[in-house]
Amino acid sequence: MTEMISVHDLSVEFQLLQSKKWPWSDAAVLKAVNGVSFSVDAGKTLGVVGESGCGKSTLVRAIAGLVKPSAGTVTLEGKPVNYSSRADLQALRRRVQMIFQDPVASLNPRMTIREIVAEPLTMFFPEMDAEARTTRVHALLDRVGIPRRNANRYPHEFSGGQCQRIGIARALAAEPKVLLCDEPVSALDVSIQAQVVNLLQDLQRDMGLTLIFVAHDLGVVRHISDEILVMYLGGMMEKASADDLVNDPQHPYTRALLSAVPVPDPDAKLNPEVLDGDLPSPLNLPTGCLFQSRCPKRFDRCTEQRPQPRFVGERQKACHLEALTV
Amino acid sequence: MLNYSLRRMMAVIPTLFILIVICFFLMRLAPGGPFTSERPLPPAVMKNVLERYGLDEPLYVQLWTYIKNILFHFDFGPSFSQKDRTVNDLIAQGFPVTLTYGFFSAVFVLVLGIPLGVVAALRHNSFWDYVMTGLAIFSQIFPNFVLAPIMVLLFTLSWGLLPGGGWNGGQWPYVIMPAVALGTSYMASVARLTRGSLLETLSAPYIRTARAKGLPERTVLWRHALKPSLLPVISYMGPVFVYMITGSVFIDVFFSTGGIGQNFIDAAYTRDYSVILGLAILYSVLTFALTLMVDLVYAWIDPKVRSGLK
Repeated sequence: MTEMISVHDLSVEFQLLQSKKWPWSDAAVLKAVNGVSFSVDAGKTLGVVGESGCGKSTLVRAIAGLVKPSAGTVTLEGKPVNYSSRADLQALRRRVQMIFQDPVASLNPRMTIREIVAEPLTMFFPEMDAEARTTRVHALLDRVGIPRRNANRYPHEFSGGQCQRIGIARALAAEPKVLLCDEPVSALDVSIQAQVVNLLQDLQRDMGLTLIFVAHDLGVVRHISDEILVMYLGGMMEKASADDLVNDPQHPYTRALLSAVPVPDPDAKLNPEVLDGDLPSPLNLPTGCLFQSRCPKRFDRCTEQRPQPRFVGERQKACHLEALTV
Repeated sequence: MLNYSLRRMMAVIPTLFILIVICFFLMRLAPGGPFTSERPLPPAVMKNVLERYGLDEPLYVQLWTYIKNILFHFDFGPSFSQKDRTVNDLIAQGFPVTLTYGFFSAVFVLVLGIPLGVVAALRHNSFWDYVMTGLAIFSQIFPNFVLAPIMVLLFTLSWGLLPGGGWNGGQWPYVIMPAVALGTSYMASVARLTRGSLLETLSAPYIRTARAKGLPERTVLWRHALKPSLLPVISYMGPVFVYMITGSVFIDVFFSTGGIGQNFIDAAYTRDYSVILGLAILYSVLTFALTLMVDLVYAWIDPKVRSGLK
């Protein structure tokens, strides 16, 4: 297996200019992503889960170059990406495309879907003539299951699921190797979610795409992912193969997250592990473990020292506990 | 689209009729008339004058005659206060003047206002943004009756670059100062509108998509962001453009341009019924035309509106 993309110690910080009391005073700094590392092999899928505001969207946006990472490196096919170089960004976007959470709002309402899908072609394949472009657009629309005769319609004439298919066609137009999916199905109906997820899997199989799939729905993530990365407060908590993570969570946060997954059976005996306390402010991160304020297994060392992700077999976890016992 | 435009134009006819009727009676309601003065005319003379202009007839007959003359002869009647002048004359003489400097004023507003707004939005919260916003507020609170004398003081009296007034057939040195004085505050509004609206558009999800697909910032701005951002500017400029090309009283008086802006005031003071009506009709026809144009531009830019115009 060849490594397609790897991320090393990636951090993203935002300066909150609104927080400035005076023009010359320092702005508060929000740490959205806090030293995350992982790598994904070609053709594989990494799922990223975590609660709202844990930095999972920011992580993929940073990889796509939409927000600037404040530290860390992203390596694509063995070559580190320099996010300050326009040429590098251009090359990155040729190979790494993104699909977004709100499918309708993500398409320009003033362009027909033909124009939307053709735009990356004019951008990345300037040698293509108009006829070849039309053929390509039609092929892409066929591939995602949008009838060709609708190519001259506008996004508002389509449903959310269809818009997401158009968004996928648009992303595929650049012939990328990596597809970053930022909660691509969370705005869709469950029946449509399955269709879009299946489409993504088909595409992955046919084109050898590498996926990074962000979601807060563990069911969807488990279905599509080879490996799952759990994030909390911008940091990585645990990473393991999808089955291992779900069947045998080794981090207290992962366990709490899994126990909160709703079970579609009204008689099932639920015993959710309810977390106490609130999410700490990302403006003011705790010195020790990021999860300490809500962890049921907290002990002294957790408040003093931040656990770094370490390997336990194939699995990676950021926890001081050797093993998690019930 | 053509159908829609035609239907809109048809709607102008009843609206104009109602407007004429309302204006007609409102003016008759105002005390006095075109021929009352401090030293009243002898009753015999008064009778003759009223007869001469048809003002002795019942009101509904006067109204009918007025509308008939417009419909069949395109004749808006004689001016009551200026002897031997017709309303057609007055408008034909004054309107080209205000149309000229109003048009250049609008060009000035757009050519300067939009780029300023775009620069401020792209350099959001930076030095240039603050400079632009400051300038905009400054020129918005600077009324043209302050700006115009200052301009004359500088460009005419101190530096002798531009003539301080007159029209001279609309040669460009005579157009510049009226156009700029008239447009400055609108230019500031346009710059601020553009800035705000572009900032909003730039944070839209589909702009993020455009960036993510790898378009250079220039293409994102020109192809995706600018058109929708200009919608508020377009709807703002419609009525403002009408106001500009029908002239401002102050500009006409201060620069002695001889435009129709001054006729509005004069006609109202002297109860010059026909001139007031004529100008009101001109103003509303222009407003109709510009509103229709704004709507058509909207439809051209926004496919959602377009499919609504059936």
